[in-house]
Amino acid sequence: MAATILAVDDSASMRQMVGFTLRRAGYEVVEAEDGVEALEFAREHSVDLVLTDVNMPRMDGITLVRELRALGTYKFVPMLVLTTEAGPEKKLQGKQAGATGWLVKPFNPDKLLATIAKVL
Amino acid sequence: MAMASLERAAPVPKAPAAPGFEKIQRFWDPRHGHWAAKILPGEFYVTRSPEAISTVLGSCIAACIRDPGSGVGGMNHFMLPEDNSLGSDAWSRPDGTPSTRYGSYAMESLINAALKLGARRERLELKLFGGGRILPSMSDIGARNIAFARGFAKIEGLPIAAEDMGDVTPRHVIYFPQTGRVLLKRLRAVETTAIADTEVRYRQTIATQTPNDDVELFD
Repeated sequence: MAATILAVDDSASMRQMVGFTLRRAGYEVVEAEDGVEALEFAREHSVDLVLTDVNMPRMDGITLVRELRALGTYKFVPMLVLTTEAGPEKKLQGKQAGATGWLVKPFNPDKLLATIAKVL
Repeated sequence: MAMASLERAAPVPKAPAAPGFEKIQRFWDPRHGHWAAKILPGEFYVTRSPEAISTVLGSCIAACIRDPGSGVGGMNHFMLPEDNSLGSDAWSRPDGTPSTRYGSYAMESLINAALKLGARRERLELKLFGGGRILPSMSDIGARNIAFARGFAKIEGLPIAAEDMGDVTPRHVIYFPQTGRVLLKRLRAVETTAIADTEVRYRQTIATQTPNDDVELFD
């Protein structure tokens, strides 16, 4: 069965580009518009990987990673951050929250898929 | 006149720049009586102070955004990198192209910076300028940039409150994020060459940038 990826971004164009890239590579994709929506989904469903933006309304991606890690079911799920933030401080926050890895936009589809394959 | 003496002549103190925007050059505009940040191709600026943001555009686009509720707004100045894989419809491929991914990145960087200063996404108002076909010899780069900007606004559900794009003239745009006011001057052909030179250099810079390979896996 294809792995399911929860893709979280407040930008509709990013969701479209990332979602299409992942689906074409054979993944099942669930999209969420922000951390709150993603967390609500995650409380009810399990996925194989979470890919999240950082800067989003209501709940940012770093808080989302921290909240997900606190759920028993998401303790060992790979979580990748895909963001415009390239600064070391944000990266450290992501790492401390429990993120698996950090990718900086503008995203490179091949690199994204290679990274996902590596951590799955 | 030296910059320092101009600053002394300003009757209004310069507001502190938002974090991360200290390096953007700002000057006192005595004619209109305000401070103005001047942005160059590839740059962007956000503020919640009563100041202006100014730029000169050829085929590039300046997206001006503001949240009337919080008084936060900003402007970027970008163009799409060259992309042989598509025609004028920049959104023809749903996974994006190097061009649309770069353009989306330019727009998202501006929007994120405004949100960090307190803007609310659902209240954002967008104004678009530029995209002129400033040199007849160049392929119509301006048209691609315009197609991208309109497509982005549509997909993101951002209402376009005003626009002045296309045609063959360069433009000087001064934007006041607090009020949304725009002063736009279409420049004469005599000024085109210098603007085109700057854009060609910018275009070469973004074309040679390798796709972002910045991936870090934590231990």
